[in-house]
Amino acid sequence: MARTKGYPEELDKKLRDTRLYSDEQNPEFTKTVEKISMTIPHMCFQCGTCTASCPSAPRSSYRIRKFVRRALLGLEEEALNDPDLWLCTTCYSCTDRCPRDIAPTDVIMAMRNLAFKNDIVPVNFLKTVQAIYTTGHGVPNNDVNRAARQKLGLPADPPTTHGFPDYVKGIQKIIDHYELKKNADRIIKEREG
Amino acid sequence: MREYAFYLGCIAPNRYPGSESASYKTAERLGIKLLDLQGASCCPAPGAFGSIDLNIWYAMAARNLCLAEQMGKDIALICNGCYKSIWEVNHKLKHNDELRDGVNEVLKEIDMEYKGSIDVWHLAELFYDPEIVGVDKIRESVTVPLTGARIAVHYGCHLMKPQKERHFGTTEHPTWIEEMVAALGATPVEYRNKMLCCGAGGGVRGYDLVHSLDITNEKMINLMEVGVDALTEVCPFCQLQFDRGQIEMQEKFGVRYDLPVLHYCELLGLAQGMSPQELALDLHAISCEPFLEKVL
Repeated sequence: MARTKGYPEELDKKLRDTRLYSDEQNPEFTKTVEKISMTIPHMCFQCGTCTASCPSAPRSSYRIRKFVRRALLGLEEEALNDPDLWLCTTCYSCTDRCPRDIAPTDVIMAMRNLAFKNDIVPVNFLKTVQAIYTTGHGVPNNDVNRAARQKLGLPADPPTTHGFPDYVKGIQKIIDHYELKKNADRIIKEREG
Repeated sequence: MREYAFYLGCIAPNRYPGSESASYKTAERLGIKLLDLQGASCCPAPGAFGSIDLNIWYAMAARNLCLAEQMGKDIALICNGCYKSIWEVNHKLKHNDELRDGVNEVLKEIDMEYKGSIDVWHLAELFYDPEIVGVDKIRESVTVPLTGARIAVHYGCHLMKPQKERHFGTTEHPTWIEEMVAALGATPVEYRNKMLCCGAGGGVRGYDLVHSLDITNEKMINLMEVGVDALTEVCPFCQLQFDRGQIEMQEKFGVRYDLPVLHYCELLGLAQGMSPQELALDLHAISCEPFLEKVL
């Protein structure tokens, strides 16, 4: 299977190795994934309908079926370190077609949550967090848009946290409760200096 | 006149304000009054934010829900991504006591409490629902029929999928938005793999732009195959991916499509006689002119 992303050699070797090593299995991982995802990957019989429905599969080495298998076998490290984990567009086609009523998309979401706990996360996800923390919006307003809004007879800033910035404090409190901003800042600093 | 708290999200008000403006005006003509939901924030983005920590995603979406609860109004919104966050978190919190208690524990810090007293709707489903608006009323409201225009529909993912949690029925081949397009006098056009994702979701647009555009490109190829004058959708994030994405695809892949992409509310606005200026169509990355010349 061709990999196009130039993964580090060791990881690439690991991902190509199809043998199962019992010392790499963590049964707790299966349970945690099931708890966060509220779905049942252990019911998977590996039919591959999910991969066949996946828009990312034809253009990458991302195989959703493999991730569900990893959830079932407790292959925590392999699942969380595979960069393909972040190629799911969360379109839920696999979920709608799964003959075993599993929600593979939610398995991916749970694994991403667990990856983040280990500081494994692409920077763009953290930048969205920073934007929301600062303005309340993931895609904030800008001057061109403000002018266009006024021409339309709308207020320059919409009546959201933009128009009522006092509400941003509440958002910051929620995010700080989970120390998310602190962690996002730290990880971005480590990556980008 | 039915009243709803209008949840704006991010991309509509901050990138395509014409959709916001069109929503207020078209809805009002159809008997729906959209009220400001003051202090609402990002839903937050289900892909980018939910991937990091679902618990924070629940709490942040619940805060937006609480604002509408305080108004005592159901929420109406115009974005599939927002629907995923706001509708789904509302649904989950209503049916999962453990989750609701956890969220309320956090909301207490900002003097809020999620009660589960309201419902969440996409404006498109309110338009389609015969008990609220219905296709007939949409047809009656048209003053400038979009006759002769061939329009394809992109449903997007998070409005109807996962179908077991939603209430729209099959997601393999829906046709209800086509009915609403036909009501405007236009010709709805079917194309290959209609339900394919736009490619932007799940944080993929930010993580791997080329990968995400490659999915969009597949959709564009399928659309070109049948020949369309415009693409319509009900999600500003899909709109951004198709509209700005065409400029990016030109840079990355050297392909040029020039296909106008309009939110259904913008399309409805045109058919109800709003001018392109009132819809700020000039903010679109891809010019809507060829389409406008055909229909106006």
